[in-house]
Amino acid sequence: MNLPLEISNLRKAYKGGTVDAVKGVTFTVKPGEIFGLLGPNGAGKTTIISTITTLEKPTSGSVQVFGVDVQKDPLFTKRQIGVVHQEVITSGFFDVEEILTFHSGYYGLRNNKERIHFLLEKLSLFEHRHKKVKQLSGGMKRRLMIAKALVHNPKLLLLDEPTAGVDIRLREDLWRFVEELRNDGMSILLTTHYLEEAQQLCDRVGIINLGSLVELGETKAIIRQYTHKKIRVVLTEKHLLQSEYLREVIGKEYLFVVPQNKTLGEFLSEVTIPTALIQDIHIEEGDLEEAFLKLVSRKDVQVPL
Amino acid sequence: MTGFITIFQREIARFLKVIVQTVITPFISSFLYLLIFGVSLGEQMQVHQGVSYLSFLIPGLMMMGLINNAFQNASSSVVSSKFSGDLEDLRVAPVTDQEIIWAMSLASLVRGTIVALITYSVGALFMYYRQGEWLMVAHPLTTLFFVVMAGLIFGMIGISIAFWATTFDQLSAFSAFILLPLTYLGGVFLSIEHLHPFWQAVSKANPLLYLINGLRYGILGVSDVNVWTAAVISTIGFVVFFAVAKFSLKKGSFQRW
Ligand SMILES: Nc1ncnc2c1ncn2[C@@H]1O[C@H](COP(=O)(O)OP(=O)(O)O)[C@@H](O)[C@H]1O
Ligand SMILES: [Mg+2]
Repeated sequence: MNLPLEISNLRKAYKGGTVDAVKGVTFTVKPGEIFGLLGPNGAGKTTIISTITTLEKPTSGSVQVFGVDVQKDPLFTKRQIGVVHQEVITSGFFDVEEILTFHSGYYGLRNNKERIHFLLEKLSLFEHRHKKVKQLSGGMKRRLMIAKALVHNPKLLLLDEPTAGVDIRLREDLWRFVEELRNDGMSILLTTHYLEEAQQLCDRVGIINLGSLVELGETKAIIRQYTHKKIRVVLTEKHLLQSEYLREVIGKEYLFVVPQNKTLGEFLSEVTIPTALIQDIHIEEGDLEEAFLKLVSRKDVQVPL
Repeated sequence: MTGFITIFQREIARFLKVIVQTVITPFISSFLYLLIFGVSLGEQMQVHQGVSYLSFLIPGLMMMGLINNAFQNASSSVVSSKFSGDLEDLRVAPVTDQEIIWAMSLASLVRGTIVALITYSVGALFMYYRQGEWLMVAHPLTTLFFVVMAGLIFGMIGISIAFWATTFDQLSAFSAFILLPLTYLGGVFLSIEHLHPFWQAVSKANPLLYLINGLRYGILGVSDVNVWTAAVISTIGFVVFFAVAKFSLKKGSFQRW
């Protein structure tokens, strides 16, 4: 079966650019998954999206959408793709509904009112459908761009930082909507700065820095590999605890940073804490942000203890 | 095909939103030109046998308005799309470069034709008022041919330049330093028969001379150049600028400013 997206050894050097924006990146998006491309500014995320949509031509390597090279049969691949660009598009002449109607036409759909109204409802834009783009708030513009990307019900959705500038409540609505789309069978590639949400949404992530993938895998596995468990033990009175994992003592609170593969049982038997003194134990699992920071700082991919 | 129809409709809808500008501006400018040149200046002038200066001027003004508006329509559409970023939508959507070129240049032709028709109407009223006769179109098909050619060619030139342009200034530079002199020197106001043979030869190198005189032949039946020569040169111009437009879409930039 052909994968929704298959990127092999993608390299992109901009004309006049001093460094390669993308230096040999390989990854796939599997059917029905949400794949997150995470990386700091300038990492090359938008460049990768641009090569998929053919806005930019790869310097070398290939991009295939459902088994078809985007450079060889762009009309086919473009029909499969919906894209939400990072920059907000502000077309001044037409209102929301007109924009969506024209956009449907570009995808060969003449009578798409039903789908357009469905999307307007879904994205809470229905009452704004006769407004011009400049009359919309930042969040509404963003949602309009999402509606545009979805008019032709694409099989592969590319979201380039779709929640930038959208307030928290709306952001959560959007993520719910993205999950809904995935549940309906859409495959989704998304780039984002919001690691918390990437952690919540993405089945797999690729972490990119300076044009190269530094890690690729299931979100959970990456978190497990690159983070520690934080165990905070609160005692009823001060006590001398000795352990290689002990990081910090604040009053009667003891912070231990423990490898993910160590069970709580192993930990407790190694660090002998008098049970009677224990008031509370808090366990904090590591998160994607922690893993991300470790990976993109690149000083040491091994977790220092 | 749907892509082509949609872009065409969008382009028409776009200039209908500025319909006042589309209709009033040529109305006023052709009125002024006819008043200043046609009436006051051309009272005693006879350019060709049996043709008054006023009627000589009308096809020239029509072609000038047509060319300018076709060029402006296409170029400002592309440039404003670059400005807002939605030109990228066209690159990302499954429409071909040919569809974009045809849709945009046909819409430019429509806008140019509206302007030419307004100029014709104003001119015809002037003539009736001054000379008591209606301005009839001598060769309707020839007229149609040169109108279509000019509209498409200058639509395509507008597209080409706008795709390469990186600032608004570059567009106005083309209008001011190339298009305007060529139209003025292309026989809108004067028959080249009145020029020194040297300048006649120079004028014949101006491609606009052939469009202007082609239309003049279509409407009045007189022309400074052979109408077949004019037709051939226009057709060559059409083929060349179609190729240029295709090249521009392929190599030019869809990127926002
Ligand atoms: N059109 C361009 N011309 C030259 N360099 C570019 C262009 N677009 C992006 N770059 C450079 O390529 C690198 C990657 O940029 P980008 O893909 O936008 O990163 P991201 O989306 O991850 O922030 C950056 O160093 C950026 O300056
Ligand atoms: Mg980006």
